[in-house]
Amino acid sequence: MVQIENVSFGYPSKPQLFEDLSVSLPMGNIYGLLGKNGAGKSSLLKLIAGLLFPKTGSLHVSGFSPRERRPEFLSEIYLVTEEFEVSAMGMKRFVELYSPFYPRFNHELLQEYLNEFSLPTDEKLTSLSYGQKKKFLLSFGLATDCQLLILDEPTNGLDIPSKSQFRKVVASAIHEERSFIVSTHQARDMENLIDPIIILDEGQIVFFEDYEQISQRLIISKVKELPTHDGVVYTESTFSGHTIVEENTSGAESNMNLETLFNAVVNNKEKVQEIFKNQTITR
Amino acid sequence: MNHYFNIHRFLKLLKLELFRSFRGIFIAFEITFGMLFFVGLLMSVIVEDSLVFFEHTGGYAFTLIIGGFVLSSLAFNDLSNSLKSSNYLTLPASTFEKFLSMWLLTSVGWIVFFSFTYYLYTVFVANPIGSMIDANMRFEDFDPWSDFAISVMKYYFVLQGVFLVGAAHFKGYVFPKTLFTVILVAIVAGTLFYFIMGDLMQEDNECFSQMNPLIGKPAYKIWLLAQWAFWWLLAPFCWVVTYLGLKDREV
Repeated sequence: MVQIENVSFGYPSKPQLFEDLSVSLPMGNIYGLLGKNGAGKSSLLKLIAGLLFPKTGSLHVSGFSPRERRPEFLSEIYLVTEEFEVSAMGMKRFVELYSPFYPRFNHELLQEYLNEFSLPTDEKLTSLSYGQKKKFLLSFGLATDCQLLILDEPTNGLDIPSKSQFRKVVASAIHEERSFIVSTHQARDMENLIDPIIILDEGQIVFFEDYEQISQRLIISKVKELPTHDGVVYTESTFSGHTIVEENTSGAESNMNLETLFNAVVNNKEKVQEIFKNQTITR
Repeated sequence: MNHYFNIHRFLKLLKLELFRSFRGIFIAFEITFGMLFFVGLLMSVIVEDSLVFFEHTGGYAFTLIIGGFVLSSLAFNDLSNSLKSSNYLTLPASTFEKFLSMWLLTSVGWIVFFSFTYYLYTVFVANPIGSMIDANMRFEDFDPWSDFAISVMKYYFVLQGVFLVGAAHFKGYVFPKTLFTVILVAIVAGTLFYFIMGDLMQEDNECFSQMNPLIGKPAYKIWLLAQWAFWWLLAPFCWVVTYLGLKDREV
């Protein structure tokens, strides 16, 4: 469980990034963290991982304060950053040296994930391509069976087959005792994987809903002519007409399009929040 | 206590750090002993005709201290790299264990390993080859238990903490930045010292012998205090500052 209460944070000599941020993330979910460039997604992940410290407020992960960086806490989180540098050692050596720090590390699962990603098992890490390194670190992180796996832009650098492998592997690794937080710009890569969706904008969590609630409250459709009623939240011109996001008053099921949903929330957050006003935006 | 130190976890960390540092230590040794061989020993033999006795202590002192300072500056190298620092800081070991592993490797570990290797080098490499080159030269095996060697080790043990502080606080170019800071502090301290004891410094005295001109003067207490602080406070102070630097480090 990640519990963030009234957290404020900012980098020196820059405007405050988060002001009074509160959110609670229970276990057992794959949270999708979306936001524009500079919205603070990576900073939020670093705060959760104990790599940055909040100025005020409290932040707890599974009962631990991340800023203390206690070993018991660190063995329950694993962070795969967008950019990384791997040690100059073989894959087997890496596993031999790092896995003992994670009490529930599962070598068989690691092998399964490596096979799924069609990765070699004993290449030098530095000789792997960027995408292969990322898949290796992701496999290692999943095999740690840590309570909180944090993935920052995990599909950047992955080829098309790897993206679907990624979704398959991540979906298979989640269970009730662990959570994943996936920060991404590649919203399409994450469709049908992340749930709930968290949208960060201007230092605040402006949207935090699960798929079920979203499909009950919003409907995304393609139309030739723009409707004129009040329920329209957002419109986007396309080649054959328009994509619209409107309040779901009919109870019909809608195909989820994360990119369109994101644009709707960011461009008309007041309207979206009004539609979801009975939900707890800052849970 | 388990939050701060666990022997099993610490040994895992030590194994990891040793493996990660192995290449760096190997390169440092190759450079150090290569320089010693070609620059130190051979140049002494060739250039200094009058030198008929070689006992290695100068080379030992220079390489132990400079090599150790460079190694200590590299102790928390990952923190200088924003891409590596996340991995290092989230490695499941306590800050105290991370500090202790690096302190052991760069302080006691370096002294023991370097002194032993240096001893083997003088006995099996430098002296036999040196004797073959110049039959008139006499070589003495390096004695790591000699007063001089022990004294060098003590000075290194105390001073290397300064470079650990630099390693934990500076981002990139740690060795030159630490040297620069030390020189800056030395200039300020030296200037203050000159204002306090300038008159005594003008006199033709040797301050390090039994004929210390300060004996019997009020400033002698300051001198004793400074000596005590150097031997007993400087290193622990540096270790605490290093630990706090690691503890409060953000990416």
